[in-house]
Amino acid sequence: MIFDKPTSVDLLAAINHFLDTKIKPEVPPHLAFKLRIVENVLNIVIREIEKGDELSNEVINLLQSLMESDTPSVETLALLIKEEKIDLEDQDLKDLLVTLSKNKIAVDNPNYSTFKKLIK
Amino acid sequence: MTEELSKALQNKLLEVNIEGKILNLVPLTGGASKEIWKFEVQTNHETNEYILRKGSGIEGPLAIKTSDEALLQQEVRKIKAPVPEIVAVSSLEEALGDSYIMKFVEGESIPRKVLRDAEFKDALPLLAFQCGEAIAKIHEVDVSKLDYLQEKTPIDQLNDLYATYESFNQPSPVFEYTYLWLKDQDFGDTQSSLVHGDFRLGNIIVSKLGLESIIDWELAHIGNPLQDLGWICGNSWRFGQNEKVVGGFGDLEDLLKGYNSISQFKVNEHLVRTWQVFGTFRWGVICLIQASAHLNGSVNSVEKAAIGRRVSETELDIADLLFLGGK
Repeated sequence: MIFDKPTSVDLLAAINHFLDTKIKPEVPPHLAFKLRIVENVLNIVIREIEKGDELSNEVINLLQSLMESDTPSVETLALLIKEEKIDLEDQDLKDLLVTLSKNKIAVDNPNYSTFKKLIK
Repeated sequence: MTEELSKALQNKLLEVNIEGKILNLVPLTGGASKEIWKFEVQTNHETNEYILRKGSGIEGPLAIKTSDEALLQQEVRKIKAPVPEIVAVSSLEEALGDSYIMKFVEGESIPRKVLRDAEFKDALPLLAFQCGEAIAKIHEVDVSKLDYLQEKTPIDQLNDLYATYESFNQPSPVFEYTYLWLKDQDFGDTQSSLVHGDFRLGNIIVSKLGLESIIDWELAHIGNPLQDLGWICGNSWRFGQNEKVVGGFGDLEDLLKGYNSISQFKVNEHLVRTWQVFGTFRWGVICLIQASAHLNGSVNSVEKAAIGRRVSETELDIADLLFLGGK
């Protein structure tokens, strides 16, 4: 990247801090509720920038060994399942679906109760 | 805008002989799809509190018209199930739009408050049984009078959800797997009943005595009633209280005790689990629907955009239920 600091993550974090400390105390309750959603969205983007590649690559590697394909993708796996061209009882498939779901939630909402339970 | 709404409310209330000054009209934190306003009417002798529930006139593919929700609540009230009293109904063409006015019910609907505030400490242990009873009552409503509701078998409903998921062109290996798994299940051979469709914390009003009122009927339909039992057990509606299977506050055993104390059809835990997977898939598809309203440009809403990233919660819950022994 050719860009100066602050990084995109720094910038988003600064916006979040501003919303939380300066705006939230000023808005009525129904907007405070929406503001919390806005802050959550910014946090998703921050996590995706920071960890997205690593979390995706882990799944792509698992897909590669499961599907024995050079161009493995989530879409192709969905199609294989849909057409029942893969053994639905295969433990590797089940494990992959768990990892895929965990890695998505690690960006979308790492505070989600099921995720916290499973990574304990 | 508030002034205009106030005027429309006043005129509507006049039609049902309630004449007074509209005071303290405030928006409440409601669902993502409807506006909720609280207000007071000051007449010569007293001041009463009311709620306005207002739709945009554009329903999602699973939702019913707001004015039909009002008709439905009136029907449910006849069999003494706890629902707020409807005061006036407005159709889309009127100044107030597709909406209704109901009496305000004292209590709390915000899930995290119900689960955490000391006020409800004694109510929570009773709530699962009470919810079971209330759900069983809803299922006793005479469906022949509900011709504005769609009737769907579990398989029809499943196929509709799947077709909706497919239409968004975002293939999900977990959802594909879930669909195949669900197609193979026994959903329970019940009579067609009124299904609330979204019975959970957030859509019930709780007081320190327990369940006071059932609100938010927009996903109501006619079908297999066990859907309501599985739905409230979904982890999406436990609000972080993972270990309390029923709505984040109770145990499945108590929910079923309450339900089976009234219902002719006796339900077991296995059937509820199947419906829990169904419900979790359904919530995932509803999240997709909500997000699509933002993605296709029909609304610009950060709330609806954000909900697209909640689909992964339902995928993880299903993976937990099907592969990891989750409850």
